Amino acid sequence: MSTLTPEQWQSLSPYLDQALALTGDERATWLASLGEQNPALAAQLGVLLEEHRVLAQEGFLEKGPAALPNAPGLAGQTLGPYTLISQIGQGGMGSAWLAERSDGRFERRVAVKFLNIALMGKGGEERFKREGSILGRLAHEHIAELVDAGVSAAGQPYLVLEYVEGDHIDRYCDERMLDVEARVRLFLDVLVAVAHAHANLIVHRDLKPSNVLVRNDGKVKLLDFGIAKLLEGEGHAGEATVLTVEGGRAMTPEYAAPEQLRGEPVTTATDVYALGVLLYVLLTGQHPAGSGTHTPADLVKAIVDTESPRPSDTVAPTQANAEIATTNATRRATTPEKLRRLLLGDLDTIVAKALKKNPRERYASVTALADDLGRYLRNEPISARPDTFAYRAAKFVRRNRTAVALATLAFAATIAGAAGTTVQARRAREERDFAFRQLSRAEAINDLNTFLLSDAAPSGKPFTVNELLGRAEQIVNLQRGDNASRVELLISIGRQYHSQDEDAKARRVLEEAYQLSRGLSEPSPRAQASCALGSAVARGTDRQRAEVLIQEGLRELPNQPQLTLDRVFCLLRGSEVARGQGASQKAIERAQAAKDLLKSSPLQSEILDLRALMDVAESYRVAGQYRDAIPVFEQASIVMDSLGRGNTETAGTLLNNWALALQLFGRPLEAEKLFRRAIDISSAGQSEEAVSPMLLNNYARTLRDLARLDEAAIYAERAYAKAKQSDARIVLQQSTAMRARIYRDQHDFARASAMFAEVEPMLRRNLPPGHAGFALLASEESLLELERGNLKAALQLANEGLTKLEATVKSGGPSEAMPTLLMRRSDIELRLSHPNEAAADASRAQSLLQTVAQPGTFSGNLGHAYLSWGRALQALGKREEAHAAFRSAAEHLQNAVGPDHPDTRAARQLAQLDTQPR
Amino acid sequence: METTISALMGAAEGGDGAAAEELFGALYSELHRMAKRELARRGTPVSLSATTLLHEAYLDMAARSGPSFPDRARFMGYAARVMRGLIIDHARERHAQKRGGLFEITSLDTESMEAAVDHRELVQMSEALDELGEVEPALAELVDLKFFCGFTFAEIAVLRDVSERTVQRNWEKARIYLHRKIRADLSL
Repeated sequence: MSTLTPEQWQSLSPYLDQALALTGDERATWLASLGEQNPALAAQLGVLLEEHRVLAQEGFLEKGPAALPNAPGLAGQTLGPYTLISQIGQGGMGSAWLAERSDGRFERRVAVKFLNIALMGKGGEERFKREGSILGRLAHEHIAELVDAGVSAAGQPYLVLEYVEGDHIDRYCDERMLDVEARVRLFLDVLVAVAHAHANLIVHRDLKPSNVLVRNDGKVKLLDFGIAKLLEGEGHAGEATVLTVEGGRAMTPEYAAPEQLRGEPVTTATDVYALGVLLYVLLTGQHPAGSGTHTPADLVKAIVDTESPRPSDTVAPTQANAEIATTNATRRATTPEKLRRLLLGDLDTIVAKALKKNPRERYASVTALADDLGRYLRNEPISARPDTFAYRAAKFVRRNRTAVALATLAFAATIAGAAGTTVQARRAREERDFAFRQLSRAEAINDLNTFLLSDAAPSGKPFTVNELLGRAEQIVNLQRGDNASRVELLISIGRQYHSQDEDAKARRVLEEAYQLSRGLSEPSPRAQASCALGSAVARGTDRQRAEVLIQEGLRELPNQPQLTLDRVFCLLRGSEVARGQGASQKAIERAQAAKDLLKSSPLQSEILDLRALMDVAESYRVAGQYRDAIPVFEQASIVMDSLGRGNTETAGTLLNNWALALQLFGRPLEAEKLFRRAIDISSAGQSEEAVSPMLLNNYARTLRDLARLDEAAIYAERAYAKAKQSDARIVLQQSTAMRARIYRDQHDFARASAMFAEVEPMLRRNLPPGHAGFALLASEESLLELERGNLKAALQLANEGLTKLEATVKSGGPSEAMPTLLMRRSDIELRLSHPNEAAADASRAQSLLQTVAQPGTFSGNLGHAYLSWGRALQALGKREEAHAAFRSAAEHLQNAVGPDHPDTRAARQLAQLDTQPR
Repeated sequence: METTISALMGAAEGGDGAAAEELFGALYSELHRMAKRELARRGTPVSLSATTLLHEAYLDMAARSGPSFPDRARFMGYAARVMRGLIIDHARERHAQKRGGLFEITSLDTESMEAAVDHRELVQMSEALDELGEVEPALAELVDLKFFCGFTFAEIAVLRDVSERTVQRNWEKARIYLHRKIRADLSL
């Protein structure tokens, strides 16, 4: 079939028009009658129409460019004498292809591996080939041979390797149900190969089952020495160079050693570690970091921090894993109990020594590991010694001195508290949260954690957190000992009160800690005491003292590594205090400084990282920098989930703040989901009784923005009732205003009007004069007048709102409400038939929003601005521009507030997206 | 720059080849500014479509340049072709990234790798479209608007002031031409 010439096409074109205008049956009749007059033409048309039927079936061009089918890729291309056949792998290493030698000299199947172009660097091709030849030295029966290395015409370096047809070693063992001894023997072959590479100064760095194949004949073959770093040996300096700059990143996290994750030097000990993991998997069927899916964060944490369980413990059957344990044992031709006993002792010890976090504590060489396994097979005593309990315990206490003290305290207090007090339902979640916090303090003391968790969980024995803290206070007071540790414990108790919103108690305890700390000379407890007190004082009326205390604390702390955590603590408290005072830039700076400090510090604490992240995000939010805040909230939430804290009260707070940022950024559809999750966390399967009124009111606001007015009214009323009950003034004011707005939208004007009247005195009580809240109130009231049809009054109020806001902005206040106020005035002006003014306001609103918008994402605020602007343009007779504006409005609104929102529908209709065929 | 665009459109339509080239250059940089940030962004939950980008560009330029600005249909015709070029450039770029990025260990972004368009197929399509543009420019423009920029039939109908059925019929015609062209090339 050939392409049509332009002339042919032009002569056929009018007939195609006719044919395509007809339905199927009509078309056949038409074509038949045409055939009688002009058979050649009809035949050509028939072919084209058949082609049309086919392409319609394929859905040709129906999906847009992103959905075009993928090309066959590189298949069929040649590289030197090799022709690529099919892709056989794609991973951290790069892509690998099966290829065939095609120059006819001899037939051979090979694997071609493409390497990163960035690897070339200076010296390019020549250097690559030279280093390839060093890899070629690795001739060993258990290592896949490097056949060739080169650079493709397109500049892509590649390696040609022996093609190995085989199974991953773990699958090979499982499928053949090899017992422990056979597995160890097979593993020894792997060790021989790696030892050979090490002798040639080549470290593998990416040992894992998919790189260790076993052929059908039982022969082990190691793949992928391609990314190995050539070690600089004595006397070889300068000759053996680093092959890949990417090497540090080209690894598989599951088999990565702690030093790789920490970015430390990679040595032969790195391979020893990976081999330890591989042995662990072969023996137990599970990864040392535990079974199941891991988030990368979990995995990294486990590899760097957590001692893995002994293999014998891993295979021991428990109620929870009985099935898995049996499966794994069967694959090793035994029962779970027998397998456990086989591993207990020497194999436990050998694996533990290979898996030491500190490279220097591991086997000194792969050969040493092989020797011990050989001794095990021969029933001789092995060289490695098991860790004693005392050794482990001492190591733990060194690492977690304070944490142990606190956990012990909590432990004692919990026992004391379990005696007989009753628990209120709403306290349950706080206790759970408290337990999680304890957990984070003393992560490693597993049985303590278990105790706290099971005891403090909602279904556990009853006690209140206040009780617990009260007893803790008593115990501290009874304690003899140095004042520094008393100060630390008091701070810890005070912070607990603080987070339980027991502000008065928090201030009392922290004041005591502060006074006590004045008699100390160590900077750490002194600074902590000032900063903790500062944050407690900031909640009261004495805001100036709060800032003074923070600065005092920060001054006490010179920038020394051992004081890093204290500095972080003070910076985070300082950020909180600055936020409370509206000094949002200072808040951002402090939180950011804390985050950076943690990053550069050798101390690794994901919990602290998380807290710093949350403070950075919240500071951005308070500053109105939503575009910056949202991604940080998201990041914090991911960390929170990965630490297993996704259901704590802190997570609820995070979700609330994040949702609020999304909401204010004009993305209520997303905000709604997060608020919902926050409410679910707070309600913990019970009623929504325990949910904070602030959260309820925030949720009501989002529902209102989504035009779900009836639900919004319910939540706003509940927020109002709860706020009244607990005398929370700010929420009372906010929920009153929210109810007024909702009733106005529901056209219950009398009620709305009465409620707006209530808001004004509340604002006067709660806010300083000149606050943006007054401007917003005027603007809200202008909408009420607009709805009532009092256009003049509406315009007056809209003007009043803008005048007030401009004054606020002039004196340094936030300007984020400006676009909203402009849009509203635009709508009013339009109704008053002032389209020019309306267009100007809407256009200004739109451009203000564009400057803060996140490029490329939708925003309900922008959608509304475009809608207002479009209407004004339409009134001005600018049809084309109006349509463009409506089109934009429709897309923004559709994504931000949903397709069924009345404004979305209006925009779609105005943009003529919903018109019927004419 | 906006006034130049309208002047250039006039000149280009008068057959001035250099003006046409300059017009495309100018539109390219303007749309590139808007589209680049858009197309480069992956991983955001929902991104704006090419259609909306074109509309916002039009609105932007029209608002700045006043009443002399060319009508929307003409603007969109030119802009859609430029957008096609942008999308193809983007696909090429991605292709390059895909190759350069082979060694990145990170598991991230596999999804966008999957979705990555084969730039060669797009280039082929673009060449076929240029040919179609020689024979029936209106059909080629229709494909740019519909396929590359995501306009709906209804919208194109409004833009061209014809019925939606006419637009649909023309679309089927264009598809036949392109399918035939591309299939013929593939079977070589």
